[in-house]
Amino acid sequence: MSKPLLQRNTRYLLLWLPVVLLGCTLLFFVLMRMQAHHMQEEQLFLKQENVWNVFKSKEGNIDLHVTAEYDITQGSNNSAIELGEPRDTTIYYPDKQKWLPFKILTSELIWNNQAYQVTTYVSSTEITHLIIKVFLGEALLFVLLLIAIVILNRKSSGLLWKPFFSTMKKVNEYDITRNQSLVLPAETCTTEFDELNTAITNLINKVNAAYYNQKQFVENASHEIQTPLAIIRSKLELLINQPNLTEKVASLLGDITDATNRLSQMNKTLLLLSKIENNQFPEIEEVNISQMVERLLNNLTAYYDNFPQVESKIETDVILNANYSLAEILISNIIKNAVEHNLPNGKIVIHLSPSHLLVENTGPSLQTNPELLFERFRKDSHQTKTTGLGLALVKQICTLYHYTVSYKYTDGWHQIEIIFKQ
Amino acid sequence: MKLLVIEDEPSLLQSIMEYFTQIDFLCEGVMTYAEALRKIDDYNYDCIILDINLPDGSGFELLKYLREFKKDEGVVIISARNSLDDKITGLNFGADDYVTKPFHLSELNARIKALIRRKYAHGIDILEAGNLKMDLAARTVTCENQILSLTKNEFNLLLYLINNRNRVVSKQAIAEHIYGDETDNMPSFDFVYSHIKNLKRKLKEKGCEDIVQTVYGLGYKLAI
Repeated sequence: MSKPLLQRNTRYLLLWLPVVLLGCTLLFFVLMRMQAHHMQEEQLFLKQENVWNVFKSKEGNIDLHVTAEYDITQGSNNSAIELGEPRDTTIYYPDKQKWLPFKILTSELIWNNQAYQVTTYVSSTEITHLIIKVFLGEALLFVLLLIAIVILNRKSSGLLWKPFFSTMKKVNEYDITRNQSLVLPAETCTTEFDELNTAITNLINKVNAAYYNQKQFVENASHEIQTPLAIIRSKLELLINQPNLTEKVASLLGDITDATNRLSQMNKTLLLLSKIENNQFPEIEEVNISQMVERLLNNLTAYYDNFPQVESKIETDVILNANYSLAEILISNIIKNAVEHNLPNGKIVIHLSPSHLLVENTGPSLQTNPELLFERFRKDSHQTKTTGLGLALVKQICTLYHYTVSYKYTDGWHQIEIIFKQ
Repeated sequence: MKLLVIEDEPSLLQSIMEYFTQIDFLCEGVMTYAEALRKIDDYNYDCIILDINLPDGSGFELLKYLREFKKDEGVVIISARNSLDDKITGLNFGADDYVTKPFHLSELNARIKALIRRKYAHGIDILEAGNLKMDLAARTVTCENQILSLTKNEFNLLLYLINNRNRVVSKQAIAEHIYGDETDNMPSFDFVYSHIKNLKRKLKEKGCEDIVQTVYGLGYKLAI
C-alpha cells in the first residue's frame, strides 16, 4: 500500500530514530558509569595518599578510625580482602536509619618497618544520584531531539519536495487535447528535480509533436479527400442526368450515391473534429440553449417519418457561453442519436436546466462496451448506416467547453447527460 | 450566359463545364492562375467559378485583381477549405458566394442562378417555369394564377427544383440545400420524400400535375 512520501518518511524516522536514540542512551549510561567509577577510584587513591602522608608526618598520632573516611590498622593482611582493588560496601548511619553505599580501598603500607592496613572510604550515594540525574536529563534531551528531528524533517521534506509536487500538479492538470503548453521551471535549486523537469518537458514536447502530427494528418487527409469526393459527386450527377437510364443502372447509381454521401459526411465530420481539436471555433457568444433545443426538436421532427413521442421539460432561457454552431451540433447530435437508436413507437425524454441536459430514449441495450461509445467510429454492431462519429463530436465539444458527458443504460432507457457546470 | 470556370483539377473542371454546357451556359475553363488572368483581361463573363487553391497562385489574389479593376463579374468560390476564415476572406475580397467541396453541381447551379438574378435582373424577382410563377421577393407561388400555400421548406424545395429544371436532382442535394448542416450524420433522407409528396399534392390541387417527377430511387426532376 502506498502512502504519501512525507508520511512514509516520518514513519521511518519514528520507527528507527527511537531505536538509535535508545541505543545511544544505553551507551551513554554505560560510559558515564565507567567514568564515575574511575573517578571514585582516583578519589580513593588520592585520599589514601593524603591520609597516609598525614599519618606519617604526625608519626601515627592521628585518629586511626574515622567512620566513612578511613581506617588504619596495624598488622599484615590476614583476611581475604583483595589489596589495592576498590570494593563496594555499606555503612549503617543510625541517625538516618539507613545503610549507605560506599566504595572502599584497602592497601598494605609500611612505616618504620611496621605493616599497616589503610582503608579509605568514598560515598557512592552522590555519584549514583548524579548518574541518575544526568541520565534522566539526557533521556529528556533525546526525546526533545526526537520530536525536533521529526518536525524539522517534515518541514524540510515539505520544502525540498515542493518543486516535485508542483511539477506533479502541473503534469496532472496537463491535457494534450487542449493545446496547452506545459511550463515547468528549469531551475528548482535541486539537481534531481531540474533533471526531472527537463525530462518531463522533453517528453511532453515529443508527445505534443506526435499529437500535432496526428491531428495534422487527419486534417490534411480530410482536405485531400474533398477533391476526389467532389469529382465523384459531380460525375454521379452527370450520370443520373444521362438519358435512357435503366432501372438496374439507376439502382447501382443510387447505391454509389449513398456510399459517396456517407463518405462525404464522415469526412466532413472528421474535419470538424480536428477543427474543434485545433480550437478553430474561437467565436463565443451567449447561446439560448432552451430556444435552440425547442427549434432543433421541431426541425428534426420534420425529418423523420416516425419521430418518437417526446416528453420534454425545458426550463426557459438557459444561456451558455459557447460557439453557436458547436452548440447546435452538440444538441442536434444528441437528439438525432436518441431518435436513431430508438424502438419503433419509442419515446424520448428531454430535460434541460441551467446545470444540465438529460436526453433519454427507449432502445435495445448496447452490444458494445458503453465506455467506448464516445470514441470515433464506435457504433453498435447492427447499425450500418450511421457514421459512428456523432457521439465522438458530442464528446469533443463537451471536452472543449469542460462539460461532463456521461452515458447510462437502465431498464430499457438510454440516458445521455451533459453537465454544464461543475 | 458566359461562365468562366477556374479549377485546377481537370476531372472536376470537365464535370462542371459539361453540366453547365448542358443547361445552356457558354463555358470556358482554365486550370492555372496565369491562364485565368489572361482570360479575365481579355473577355467579360457573367459569372466566374473560382477555386482558391491553384498551382501557381491563390484564388484570393485573382479575386483582388478582379475587384481592383472594377470588373463586376459574379464570383462563386469553390474551395476544399471549409473554414469560416476562408469564407469570410473570400466574401471580404468581393466574392458573391462560397461553396465547399464536395458540392453538388445542382447546388452550384442554384447559387449561380441566384447570383445572376441578383446581379442582372434588376429587382425583377419573378421566376417562371411553365404554368408556375414564383415571386421571390414576396415568397409566393402561383400555378395558373392560383396561389399555392407552401411552407418555407416547400418553397425552397420548389425554387431549387425550378433552378435545376429538367435536371435530376439527388435526394442528398435537396437535403443539404434545404436543411444544411442539420442533416449531418443522418443515415437516411426519407424526409425529402415526404416533402416532395406534400409539394406534389399541393401542385396537383392547383392543376400543375406531374411536373415533379421521381427518377427511380435517385432523385427528383422538375420537367417543364
